[in-house]
Amino acid sequence: MDFLIGWLAIIPSYTTPLLLASVGLILSERAGVLNLGAEGMMALGAMTAAITVLAGHDPWMGIAAGAAAAVAVSLLFGLAVVVFRADQTLAGLAVVAIGLGVTGTVGRPYVQQTFGGLPKLGDLLALDPANPLGRIIAAQDVISLAAPILALAAWWWLMKTQAGLRLRAAGENPAAADVAGVDIQLTQLAAVLFAGLMCGLAGAYLSVATSHVWVENMVAARGWIAVALVILAKWSPARAVIGAMLFGSADALVPRLQAIGADVPVYLMMMLPYALTLFVLFLTSLSGRGSGEPASLGAVYLRQDKH
Amino acid sequence: MNVISPLATGRRRFLALALLAGSCLAIDPAFAFKLDAPPKVAFIYAASVNDGGWNEAIDKGRKAVEDQLGVPVAVTENIPEDATKLRAAIDLYVKRGFNVIVGTTYGYSAPIAEAAKAYPNVAFLNASGTTNGANLESFYARTYQGWYLAGIAAADATKTKTIGMLGGFPVGVINWDINAFAQGARSVDPSINTIAVFTNSWWDPVKEGQVSEAILDQKADVIATDLSAASALDAAEKRGAKSFGYQIDMSAAAPKGIQTSVVFRWDRYLVPTIKHIIDGDWTPQEYGAFAGIETGVVDLAPYGPSVSDATKAKIEAAKQAMIAGKLDPFQGPLKKQDGSEAVKAGDKVSDEALWNMDYFVEGITGTMPAAAAQ
Repeated sequence: MDFLIGWLAIIPSYTTPLLLASVGLILSERAGVLNLGAEGMMALGAMTAAITVLAGHDPWMGIAAGAAAAVAVSLLFGLAVVVFRADQTLAGLAVVAIGLGVTGTVGRPYVQQTFGGLPKLGDLLALDPANPLGRIIAAQDVISLAAPILALAAWWWLMKTQAGLRLRAAGENPAAADVAGVDIQLTQLAAVLFAGLMCGLAGAYLSVATSHVWVENMVAARGWIAVALVILAKWSPARAVIGAMLFGSADALVPRLQAIGADVPVYLMMMLPYALTLFVLFLTSLSGRGSGEPASLGAVYLRQDKH
Repeated sequence: MNVISPLATGRRRFLALALLAGSCLAIDPAFAFKLDAPPKVAFIYAASVNDGGWNEAIDKGRKAVEDQLGVPVAVTENIPEDATKLRAAIDLYVKRGFNVIVGTTYGYSAPIAEAAKAYPNVAFLNASGTTNGANLESFYARTYQGWYLAGIAAADATKTKTIGMLGGFPVGVINWDINAFAQGARSVDPSINTIAVFTNSWWDPVKEGQVSEAILDQKADVIATDLSAASALDAAEKRGAKSFGYQIDMSAAAPKGIQTSVVFRWDRYLVPTIKHIIDGDWTPQEYGAFAGIETGVVDLAPYGPSVSDATKAKIEAAKQAMIAGKLDPFQGPLKKQDGSEAVKAGDKVSDEALWNMDYFVEGITGTMPAAAAQ
């Protein structure tokens, strides 16, 4: 029972950064812009947030600063691919290189310095530690509770609102959407900035909420896992919740099984998060048709009359 | 007709061999490695030098070389463990007249051996490498000796009789640290349980904090990290647990709970070795340098505020016994985690067996892949 509660309580700390980043990427890609820059944007978010807190600011200020830094680099990316029609794959990889390079250099004086971090609900509310649910809630923070709600809200907005329809149209058939009065460039730019905001939040969460420290390369490929989750979730924010939950809970289970000396093969356990996520999302994808990939993903849209 | 009898040939061969062996032992200048130009030293790192761990510890040694030997020292960071990229960096240094090149990672082992063959007049050293040659010496330290001493402090620090340690991957150099930590603790109190967890990564600071919490959730009140991120110690500090750092003094991450850190003082190896190279009386050891606690290359950082004088005295006594050769962390009889025999009574673990250590000792809770595979 203790084992179960401890595990359930820690899962959101694994899930939240992946979920935030992949929801951001999904909106960008639904608008037709392939976005591979998550690893770099998360690094920028993590470092900026950490050094803001180390400078004596509130954790929330740190998180805001981290998100803003990733939005700033997204603006560069957005201008490059939407306005100047640069290759989206290359520009995305450039964002990764810029993010890792800038954080490595600027963050250098701040590495390994621990700080207070974002308070947990247990620090804010009087929760009964004897109550299992109380213990699980006490280990959460505002962002880890908000992340799944945000993901479902993004799904609702995307699928059920006029604005969401316009965004999807920009990614499926930009020419038709253009004729129907959608401003393709503005829509895509907004979606790219939203992806930056979410990736920045995800990175800031890693440093300010989870580990209370900045270390170079601390995103440790979580950005790439978010990119993969987008595909496995078939570009649906709701399915991204399932994917991130599966991956996060398996990832959180592996060290906990080792800590009780469970007689299971470690190397197979290491595969578990990947294998399980792949398997379940494969099963659920059997019900739907196609991959869900936006038809004009990665394509540069040129309006005829602009030639 | 052959005038030389087979006996004479044999004797001559024997004489030649004896001479060779004698000269090697005595470091005869005729056989030692000599530089053919004034010394220029270069250090090559696989990542950033201030990573708060491995590279930072070596870079402190690099600074000591610069200060104490007064030779120019160049530094290159972020050269991946990739043969072509490392070779390009080495080629460039050699072209610019550098003749003492220090690699800093296991992943450089094969390419640095190639480079050592290509440049016989350049001296090569490589930290935690596996290759050696006429002008190449790999070096590492008996870190398990430091972890045994840390284990003694852990036994005195724990109230729940449960201590924990996290490491990267189940390989010899990590397994011996975990086993020695448990052995040190059990030398004080055999009922102590040591929880061991692998993060399955050499570099994931976020996960190191999360794994530390997973261990603390299993009633451990002491956390030791065999990795380098401050997050593992921070998680312990926030829960009021005691902690042990690794590679450099990590007390800043846990000012209250820190007991000590098992640290590298690479200057104790690098300064004398590079001095020998400069003086022209350096002969690389055939199986590399494997520095013990008596050299000070592996050592304990200053103790934290909660370590008692009685504990410090116990550790000092054990350290002196180790230096005198009277105490070996893996002295037989030694049992494996499952109760089977690892080392016979009276036996010790050979260096070769140390590098291949693929089991946990008795008193450890954790999952060892090699054991699970059997």
